[in-house]
Amino acid sequence: MKHIVITGTRKGIGRSLAEHYLAEGWGVIGCSRGESSIEHAQYRHYELNVCDESAVIEMARDVKRQNGAVDALLNNAGIASMNHCLLTPGSTVNAILQTNVVGTFLFCREFAKLMRKSAQPRIVNFTTVAHPLNLEGEAVYAASKAAVESLTRIMARELAALRITVNAVGPTPVMTDLIKGVSSEKMEALLAQQAIPRYGKAADVINAVDFFLREDSDFITGQVLYLGGVT
Amino acid sequence: MPTFKEVEVLVFESVRLLAEDFDLVTLQQPSTESALYGNDGVLDSMGLVNLLADVEDAVSEQFGAAIALADEKAMSARNSPFLTVKTLAQAVLERIEA
Repeated sequence: MKHIVITGTRKGIGRSLAEHYLAEGWGVIGCSRGESSIEHAQYRHYELNVCDESAVIEMARDVKRQNGAVDALLNNAGIASMNHCLLTPGSTVNAILQTNVVGTFLFCREFAKLMRKSAQPRIVNFTTVAHPLNLEGEAVYAASKAAVESLTRIMARELAALRITVNAVGPTPVMTDLIKGVSSEKMEALLAQQAIPRYGKAADVINAVDFFLREDSDFITGQVLYLGGVT
Repeated sequence: MPTFKEVEVLVFESVRLLAEDFDLVTLQQPSTESALYGNDGVLDSMGLVNLLADVEDAVSEQFGAAIALADEKAMSARNSPFLTVKTLAQAVLERIEA
């Protein structure tokens, strides 16, 4: 059985991804700050903060003990804060960078080590269309995801020697908690900037992740795939 | 808590297995002073990455300790802890004890 690690599986896209790969027969190892919302024989959950270095190392050691190797990692966990830059507290900036950048980095570092024995090791990071669209009110969130894209491109080179591909998916807004505080007018204006102006669905994200995980995608690395026709 | 000797044996074994996998003749029978990384070292950066990951795994399995060898202390040290088998074993022991 192949094993996939997915961060942020308690709700939203992370939960949909976990359910999808469980249905596909994978062993899924998830985590979130809260307790598990998934009951499945092939699902194991860790309660941790993705930017807590010792907790991530402990999780990786436990996964190694229980599963031996890992085949894929989806760095889905992320937080956002929509706010004008002049109204954004430093603590918010730190929290977003910690979860989105440090969390992604730590999981890549620790789980890449467990992928060395996998036949098709894959890492997929999560970015956002807010970065290429330079969306007002999302300066810190977009900047954190710009950092994730840079990590993706450079890790793709550094981990190529281990045959690990590293790519990123950039979803459009999907109806999740991440955008619940944003006005409908603002969301409509955002959608109008996409080539295909509709909300994304979890299935759109799953399709893009599936593409990167496919056996035939072993020559695709360092790429960022935005959904909705955003470039 | 393991002794230095026990940790050194663990490092020896990890180096030996890596040397077999990567066909590194000079490390197939490592000694305490065998040069691993740096000016006289046999390992390139990917070789070092593989060795550190193997050692971390072995430490977790044998001593039940979750350590990260490439930490801030290692990066800021005047002399790299990854130069020889002996310095690496010392670095492992320090992190288990921390």
